[in-house]
Amino acid sequence: MTGRVGADDLALLVLGLPFASFLLLALVRPLRRSAPAAAVVSIAAIALAFVGAYLTLQWSVHRAAAVNPSTTWSWIPADGGPMATVGVMVDELSMLMLLLVTLVSLLVQVYSWAYLADEPRSSLGRYYAYHSLFAFSMLGLVLSPTFLQMFIFWELVGLCSYLLIGFWYDRPAAARAAVKAFWITKLGDLGFVAGIVMLWSVTGTFDFWTLFTMGSMGTLPVEALPPIMFLIYLGAVGKSAQFPLHVWLPDAMEGPTPVSALIHAATMVTAGVFLVTRAFPLFRFAPDVLTLMAWVGAFTALLAASMACVEGDIKRVLAYSTISQLGYMMAAAGAGSPEAGFLHLLTHGVFKALLFLGAGVVIHVFHTNDLFRMGGLRGQPVVWLPFVVATLALAGVPPLPGFFTKEAILAGMLEVHRWGPFTLLAVTAFLTAFYMFRVVFLTFFGRPHHSGPAHHHVPWLMHAVCWALAALTLARGLQVAFFSGHHAGEGPDWLPAFSLTLAGAGILLAWAMYQRALVDPARVAAVLRPIDWMARRRYGLDALFAGLYRAILLGFARLIGWIDRYLVDGVLNALSAWTLRAGDRLRRLQSGQPQDYVYGVAFGALLLFVLAQWRLR
Amino acid sequence: MPLGAYLTLAALVFAIGLFGVLTRRNAVGILLGIELMLNAVNINLVAFARFHADLAGILFTLFTISITVAEVAVGLAIVIVIFRVRRTVEADHLDLLRG
Amino acid sequence: MTAEMLAFAGVAVVLLASSLGVVLTPNLFHAILYLAVALVATGVVFLLLDAPFLFGVQLLLYAGGVVTIVVFAIMLTERLVGTSIRQTSRYLVNGALVSLAVFVGVVGFLVQAPPSAPRPAWPGDLTVAVGQALVGAFAVPLELLGVLLVIALLGALYFARSEG
Repeated sequence: MTGRVGADDLALLVLGLPFASFLLLALVRPLRRSAPAAAVVSIAAIALAFVGAYLTLQWSVHRAAAVNPSTTWSWIPADGGPMATVGVMVDELSMLMLLLVTLVSLLVQVYSWAYLADEPRSSLGRYYAYHSLFAFSMLGLVLSPTFLQMFIFWELVGLCSYLLIGFWYDRPAAARAAVKAFWITKLGDLGFVAGIVMLWSVTGTFDFWTLFTMGSMGTLPVEALPPIMFLIYLGAVGKSAQFPLHVWLPDAMEGPTPVSALIHAATMVTAGVFLVTRAFPLFRFAPDVLTLMAWVGAFTALLAASMACVEGDIKRVLAYSTISQLGYMMAAAGAGSPEAGFLHLLTHGVFKALLFLGAGVVIHVFHTNDLFRMGGLRGQPVVWLPFVVATLALAGVPPLPGFFTKEAILAGMLEVHRWGPFTLLAVTAFLTAFYMFRVVFLTFFGRPHHSGPAHHHVPWLMHAVCWALAALTLARGLQVAFFSGHHAGEGPDWLPAFSLTLAGAGILLAWAMYQRALVDPARVAAVLRPIDWMARRRYGLDALFAGLYRAILLGFARLIGWIDRYLVDGVLNALSAWTLRAGDRLRRLQSGQPQDYVYGVAFGALLLFVLAQWRLR
Repeated sequence: MPLGAYLTLAALVFAIGLFGVLTRRNAVGILLGIELMLNAVNINLVAFARFHADLAGILFTLFTISITVAEVAVGLAIVIVIFRVRRTVEADHLDLLRG
Repeated sequence: MTAEMLAFAGVAVVLLASSLGVVLTPNLFHAILYLAVALVATGVVFLLLDAPFLFGVQLLLYAGGVVTIVVFAIMLTERLVGTSIRQTSRYLVNGALVSLAVFVGVVGFLVQAPPSAPRPAWPGDLTVAVGQALVGAFAVPLELLGVLLVIALLGALYFARSEG
């Protein structure tokens, strides 16, 4: 594991700046109540953090293989060395993630200022506080040198997701969506925590570097690893919305669009992929888990793509698209090329964020999320050009980065001869191009479907951010195409042409169906009726989870309630009732009639006689 | 007669007096029972005094008799006052101490 | 069967019979009369125990004074009611049981006692000895007794005053 290592004090600064911003906004109420001040604090912190992240990467130095890239301080003491440590691990993986997280956070926070301009001032302050907390949590997650620290930040990230999805907490749909996200990811987290505890019990450490060294030296108990790595993988399944724990992501679109851009496109959901990439040296020892990962990833990709084809809400389409692309990344890791998946993560983060922010612009223009009520923006390239750039990137058209990273994943899949996942991913690529261009045609080109006044004014800030992201996407693509050069000859020669054909076919089909109406979508749906029917109902998974939740959780809650009412309260009530009854009975001894008291004296005397007789014996 | 005979006699009279205290309805009737009990005690005291040649028992009896007389006087005065107030001397109706 | 034993038997029978009469008779006035007989019988027991002085005291105070007081009390409370009070006692069985139990308890101690020695001789005249003791060793109790009697007197006077 050679690579680069960066300065840890710079990394700590990057970590500390959003945390300081959060503390400031959380504790100093007047600061929070004044939205401009809160925005300035939060944006300044994240901007400086971005500069710090950039400098960390610029000033990083090469590191030899045996050098530990992490710096730790002991935390939980125990005999024979600390049981847990805290610190930072500033290697290539974390530096790249630092850059991505700070950049996208910065752009999203700036965009939010314009997008949420109608929001009441004090709640905007709360919004920025949550953003700072999230930045801190995500940065901490990527900088963690141990499983335990990563888990703590993992949970913090989940909390921020809950807070941000449910930002408009007085909307029942948003509150429900936040809770659902929390529960579903919690299922995965159960596996995660069980896995890392079991790992600690067989190896005695949480530390990545120590574990990797043990792995390379052969001192790792490899027989115990597969179930442990499976449990850890479950955490990634929850957080990165793999089947079957993907159901929370579409509902998470109830949150504000910038939030969706940040945490449900570029950062939080990628934490699972990051985990797998980070812990890959350990996953290598569990090949069955990797196979599962590849199949589940590919299947998730196809499933989500199919649901995106029939979805009418623009944000939901993008959510399914995210699930689909996450499937790609996990499949790449499962095929043994986590670098390809990670690279896709980096590029996807940028253009997916752009897609969401562009969708935000569109929603601002039409005041609706419904695709079938949009259209007629052909004459406004300032609105559609960034979005189309991102769509081309997602569909996999060169010279945009999506093409190269997707091709790398497919190549990696072929390298290990996994034909099943390869086929699924190939079909998904076709569908991806199809449904994304369906969105493009319905939203921008084509006849206007909307009633009511068109073209509400869109703040220039939102446009500026979108154009910046579009430029970044293009630049990255050009950089990869002409300067990195590592994709030439990566896979078989027919692969680039093959993926290009898939993309082209998808775009063509979308054009035919939605732009020129050459093929009637209803007839296609009739032909594919069973799939269409199931996709429209999300394959029943949502209903399944809801039913399980009701049955298990609510049933359990009722049981506990019964126990509380009848056993716990019952015991107390019985005790008090008996006390009252006993008191009442004893009270009857006090009859007030002196002869009864004489009886008492006589009984006492008899008792004394008996005692005395006993003593005499 | 041996000492035991006198003591047994006293015990019997005591028991009968106790029976009277427990079962009589009239307050004066209860006092009569108390008198019997005190009598029995006196018999005991004198018997012991005789059989141990101790004068103290005799004197004790003297005092007991005197005190009993005083107690009866005061007790009956109370009974009469209760009768004045409540127009009854039945023990069942005198339950002001009821809890 | 010596004369003493016969006398004792007779007095015992009278005492017990009159005691039972006190507690069982329905008529309260009869009860007090039975009590008078019982008190006299007790005095005779004192005589049998070589305490003639106490016999006198018993007759004077108990059979004379107490009986008189109680008779007056009965007359006062009974007359105002108008009818002679019927004494239907409550819970006879319970009372009998408890009394029997107390008797058995006391006798239980008695049977464990060693057989008693015969009577020792009385030193000198009892009355003289009592008199000497009252002004000698038991002078203080005697005075206290006087105080008690005064208090009782005052108390009775207080209760006897008319209201208003």
